[in-house]
Amino acid sequence: MSEAPVILEAYIGEYASGKSEVAINRALRLCEQGREVTLVDLDTVEPFYTLRPLKKQLENKGLKVIAWETKETVGLGETGSVLKPEMRWALKRPGDVILDVGYGVEGAKTLNLLEGVFKRFPLKVYVVINTARPFTSEVSDIVEYIKTLGKVDGLVNNSHLGAETDLDLVQEGARIVSKAAKILGLPVVATTAEIQIAERIGTKDCMGHPVWVIRRYMEHSFW
Amino acid sequence: MFMAPKPIEGEKRVFMTGNEVVAWAATAAGAEIMYGYPITPQNEIMHYWTRMAPKYGRKFLQTEDEISAGFTTVGGVLAGKRAFTATAGPGNTLMQEPMSMAEMMRLPTVLVVTQRGGPSTATVIYSQQELTMTCFGGNGEGMRIVYSTSGHQDLYDYTIKAFNTAWKYRFPTFVLGDGYQSKMREPVTIYDPEARNISMVPAEAYMGNPGTPGVDRDPVHLRNTYNMEEELLKVINDNMATYESIAPEIVEYQEEEVEDAEVLLISHGIVSRAAQGAMKLLREEGFKVGYFRPITVRPFPAEQLRERAEKAKCLLVIESAYGQLKRIVTDSLYGCTTTIKSYMKPGESVTVEEVVEKVRSLY
Repeated sequence: MSEAPVILEAYIGEYASGKSEVAINRALRLCEQGREVTLVDLDTVEPFYTLRPLKKQLENKGLKVIAWETKETVGLGETGSVLKPEMRWALKRPGDVILDVGYGVEGAKTLNLLEGVFKRFPLKVYVVINTARPFTSEVSDIVEYIKTLGKVDGLVNNSHLGAETDLDLVQEGARIVSKAAKILGLPVVATTAEIQIAERIGTKDCMGHPVWVIRRYMEHSFW
Repeated sequence: MFMAPKPIEGEKRVFMTGNEVVAWAATAAGAEIMYGYPITPQNEIMHYWTRMAPKYGRKFLQTEDEISAGFTTVGGVLAGKRAFTATAGPGNTLMQEPMSMAEMMRLPTVLVVTQRGGPSTATVIYSQQELTMTCFGGNGEGMRIVYSTSGHQDLYDYTIKAFNTAWKYRFPTFVLGDGYQSKMREPVTIYDPEARNISMVPAEAYMGNPGTPGVDRDPVHLRNTYNMEEELLKVINDNMATYESIAPEIVEYQEEEVEDAEVLLISHGIVSRAAQGAMKLLREEGFKVGYFRPITVRPFPAEQLRERAEKAKCLLVIESAYGQLKRIVTDSLYGCTTTIKSYMKPGESVTVEEVVEKVRSLY
């Protein structure tokens, strides 16, 4: 093996849990480190709030983005979305690949459509959890939900209330997600927070997990 | 009375999409069954209702189309169930026949409309083009109650309220949202109605009650058909008299800075957030601008608006439709000589900046 190790990650999870936001920020952070990064919009479930409207903006920041442009599509939201051919082969691209996957079980199944999953380097599948969402606010609900999703390699605590997020909510989220992770025998990969809160948490959350600073892009990506 | 486990104890600040909010509100309000047929941007109301239904002892029926979803909702109500449905755009068009039947029989159906672009299939995204249809659709007289929401807290509050208004007054009741509110994510407080001293008006069966009709009780004779013009005339007149007499209790509106307003901004639903934002910015710049938002678009707060409109120099009606709100405003203000201008963007959003610019151009 002479090939340098690359990072291949898929972000999955509950509706409106912050999958795209986490995926974008993760991709940009790797890009800032001078790595070659491709970000892929694999959301075939929900046509609203996807990477599509942000494609140009993210490409200008140095990412390679595989996503439809709205004008290229017909019947979006009526007939479901289809994969772009290059999405199928995305994992064969050089460099890191970050996959932003549609919500729920049907979203997670999209990974089966890709070539090279579990082959070249292991694809890590991370579930994004926001404990301010009622369906994933309790340990037992999170555990039950994650069990429906198939292969999972880790959890991301993305607990927030939009602009109303405070430090306690993020730290409480870290505690809840940690408990669920322990039951599932999975690691917590990170806790996310916007800069003002991240600065107050420090480099590790109250459970010792790394803190990823998040900038919000998705609020401008309605359609 | 139907007893179900409570989905929410007390209250809770949460983060979700508008469609989820509606599903939670209906569950918290003790709705027993949803009838539905999928259409964007309404789908997650059904998705989340069906996720919660088994846990909280509720029911769901997916029908073959919206005509059927509307009529089964009518049937659920006749059976005494707190029943509802949700749809959008062409689905709303198809539901006009069952909702007309509910209007004729005075049935407390609840329909949540998530407006999308029109006419026809148009876009799945957003518009305010279902205002006329939701208020006056079908071959009836608009004996309906329509709450136009402007965001997630409204969606929660007015979905709960819709069930009570419907069952108290026995007219079909609608929550008029839109695709933006459906898909948008923002924090919202969800609560058990009881924790806020809101008691739910009990649902009662129209059909199949005990006793012998004509002996132990009056027979139930629900009609949506009459042979004689005179019969129909009397029924419509009586129902309309009832509707008009209850309208003052039902009417709701929101207003700010109307006292000395030269320009009065009139908008409903999510567009009112842009109007309100613009009003605040313009006030800071010294423009005397006021804000008026009907919450019930049917019955319409006509008297309240007239009082404010007569003091203003200019009214600006702002909407994501081509004059549907303006028609209601004009009709309500007949005889008022204040100039009415409009800013109309059918199927597209209106921003604070656009409203500010438009108001500046009026000076």
